[in-house]
Amino acid sequence: MSKPTVAFFDFASCEGCQLSAINLAPQQLLELLEVIDIVEFREALSEKAYHYDITLIEGSITRKSDIPRLQDIRNRSDLVVAFGACAHIGGINALKNFQRPEEYKKAVYPDTPDLFETDIARSIDAFIKVDAFIPGCPIDTDEFVRVVKNIVLGKNPDIPDYPVCVECKQRENVCVYELGLTCLGPVIRAGCGARCPSNGGYCYGCRGTIPEPNIYGQKDVMRQYHLTHDQMMDQFKLFLNHNKEVF
Amino acid sequence: MGWLSQIIKRLVRTSPQKPVTPTGFGMVQTRKEDLFASLGTLLSRYRIAALTERKGKILFDYINDPREIILDYQPTVLSPKKFFFPQEEVFLEYTANGKINPKIDFQDTILFGIRPCDTNAIKILDEAFSESNGDPNYLTKREHTIVIAIDCHKLCDEQGFCYKTHSQNVTGGADILLFDMGTDFAIKIFTQKGKDFIDEYLNTKALDPNLFKAYQERRHDAFKDLKPFPHLEYLPEIFENQKDHPFWASEAKRCLSCGSCIFVCPTCYCFDVADEFALNLHEGERIRRWDACMLHSFAKVAGGENFRQETENRVRHRINKKFNYLMSKHGQSGCVGCGRCVRACLVKISPKVIAETLIADNNVIEGSAPDVQPLENHHIKERDIRLYVPEKATLTRIIKMTDKETLYEVELASGRPLGHEPGQFVQVSLLGIGEAPISISSEPSNEPRFELCVRAVGDVTHKMSELNVGDTLYIRGPFGHGFDADILERMKNKHLVFISGGLGYAPMRSLVNLVLQTPEHYKKISILNGCKTPEDRLFKDELANISKMGGNVELLETVDCADEQWTCGVGVITTLLPDLDMVSDETIAIIVGPPIMYKFVLRSLKERHIPPENIYMSLERRMKCGVGKCGHCQIEGIYVCQKGPVFHYPDIEDKEEAI
Repeated sequence: MSKPTVAFFDFASCEGCQLSAINLAPQQLLELLEVIDIVEFREALSEKAYHYDITLIEGSITRKSDIPRLQDIRNRSDLVVAFGACAHIGGINALKNFQRPEEYKKAVYPDTPDLFETDIARSIDAFIKVDAFIPGCPIDTDEFVRVVKNIVLGKNPDIPDYPVCVECKQRENVCVYELGLTCLGPVIRAGCGARCPSNGGYCYGCRGTIPEPNIYGQKDVMRQYHLTHDQMMDQFKLFLNHNKEVF
Repeated sequence: MGWLSQIIKRLVRTSPQKPVTPTGFGMVQTRKEDLFASLGTLLSRYRIAALTERKGKILFDYINDPREIILDYQPTVLSPKKFFFPQEEVFLEYTANGKINPKIDFQDTILFGIRPCDTNAIKILDEAFSESNGDPNYLTKREHTIVIAIDCHKLCDEQGFCYKTHSQNVTGGADILLFDMGTDFAIKIFTQKGKDFIDEYLNTKALDPNLFKAYQERRHDAFKDLKPFPHLEYLPEIFENQKDHPFWASEAKRCLSCGSCIFVCPTCYCFDVADEFALNLHEGERIRRWDACMLHSFAKVAGGENFRQETENRVRHRINKKFNYLMSKHGQSGCVGCGRCVRACLVKISPKVIAETLIADNNVIEGSAPDVQPLENHHIKERDIRLYVPEKATLTRIIKMTDKETLYEVELASGRPLGHEPGQFVQVSLLGIGEAPISISSEPSNEPRFELCVRAVGDVTHKMSELNVGDTLYIRGPFGHGFDADILERMKNKHLVFISGGLGYAPMRSLVNLVLQTPEHYKKISILNGCKTPEDRLFKDELANISKMGGNVELLETVDCADEQWTCGVGVITTLLPDLDMVSDETIAIIVGPPIMYKFVLRSLKERHIPPENIYMSLERRMKCGVGKCGHCQIEGIYVCQKGPVFHYPDIEDKEEAI
């Protein structure tokens, strides 16, 4: 079996997901390089290639001028993987979608708001066909390895479609609602090992919703725990800004 | 003799149930400090799991010192079932070149201090993992564990409702039961294993009857006002009557489908199976993980059909499993009232509240309560260490049937014939990829070769489509109930009407080809086959031959969308039925097709006055284990991989989930 070629690209993002990808244990990295051939990766390589078997794209699309580049990458790739929350669901960048362009331009570039092109932030599947996604902000390194391995083997990426609650229960966590926090765990895709709720936090929803989330039920729970409408929406906005069922 | 055995059977069945008493092992007493000292010394021989605290969480965990044990019970998130049936468990290890070994990770263990609810749960699990096929992993761990339970002398908290199903009483599921009498424990011994353990390791003295009486009085006082469900023994009937109760829909609306209730339940035992290769792609593992019927994709098959798509159906299934399906089988509620699911549920959906609502709204209770054999105490049954180990096989022929379907001829490396009934299925394994249930397309034979007609829809079936003649794959089975000898005998001298749609002809063919070997044994054979388009037809050449057979054999075909060459019918499969020459009580109909097809075909057959007794069908469901364990294929508590896929229609006629 010849090794598939793999490329990484980024758009509007912090590049933290790409850093997570190379943040493997040295042995794991070496083993990974036994099964794939990384041909383009700005974070780690200077080489370039033309065609890619698997392309991982980090970042959301916030400028019209990015669209041709994105489409060009798509055309040169067999498989495109949305890599991390920004590419997958718009990510933190999409928080600005709740403001008017004049507002967010002015907030970021107070003196020269018109010099910079920036539009609403959207996930990459708004513009190109996406074959798989690796969710999370940032991505989970083990999950990245598993998805790449599964793609190499010709399997489904095997991203969990059950909610974070499952992993919290498996770890026998005390529910964060009992600790006085509110959490999006019941409607958010697991796979992170319930990392935030297990370490004093709560689920922010960075991995996006499960298929058919019961948003009605989730809001009901949050109301019961005395969240005002605005507080509730603030919590949803962080990562679920793309989700029509929420707003 | 038949009538005599009938009467004897009835007598045996209706004789009063023997109370489940803790055998003749009797009771003794020990000082607490002696017991803890013994546990301390036993730590070198046993792993000891007990209620303890870890990072602020109260849970059952392995301990290093008996002083870590918490005696005053506080509810835990997970039940102690995790020691026999871990959240995640590797049960096969293999290499890419086909060395496959079963794996059971066990060690002599003492499980200390579990509570009555959990002992009752263990009884349910023991049965679930023993019946039909003994699960090697669970049963081995169970056998290597001494279970020491502690009686509850009061209710643990306001969410616990063990008393609703009598689950505050230990009737098995433990080897030894302790009663906390202050400085001493009274000890009730349930099993020989428990007795041997006490004789060998524990200093005991005679039971002080007064002290024990005082304990019992205290316990009695604590529980005396806590009454079981009214009509407890009729719960299966009540739940069966109330499948359409509006409460299901209103509870489902609140339900988040998060699966928490299932993961914390001490009597849930469903699991999912996954294959994982190491990154080097040379070694792999087959892993099982807890799965939850409350999760959206639990009953979804690779082809896309989701057999329990709606939350309401999942809620109903979950609760019925406990109070109806398990209880009607074992006479013991599958819910032991531990309260874990209620504590874990953010919207506080409670089996107790659901049961109370349904009991209150139920006004028909007919006849006497069902008479079922109570669960035996602690029986560790036979098991086959190779239950989940597939055997090597080779692809001997590959025929592309349509764009999507391919026929594979497979030969077992051992040279043994598969020995299947028509309608049965096998589990096909590709190492590192997974396992998929595939029905057998060829008729029974003494040859080691058999045929599988496969549509590439999931990981395994896609990967199969990349294989070549001579390549290796792995097989378990045959599994399930097919068209057995009794059914085949019933078909003799009848007019057989085979009704298949789409991929349904693949399993149907195993029966059709068998029957066509001796058409003279049947009054008439009508084969009705429907497809989307002429190109989608499977086994085109064979169908052409059948159409030319003449005599008492006829082939009627229809497609949804015809092309110019098509000369047969156009329309759905039921368009073929109205004009078919059938005599209702001399006809036996056999239906295999996509899920949507059944109700329309059944309606048409009803219009033609074919009685339900004369209808057989094969039903598709998600099947992961094939041996009645993983739970995915259930239709209202019936395991399709065991009782099906071939069903006699009257057996499932009243099951809403079936059709």
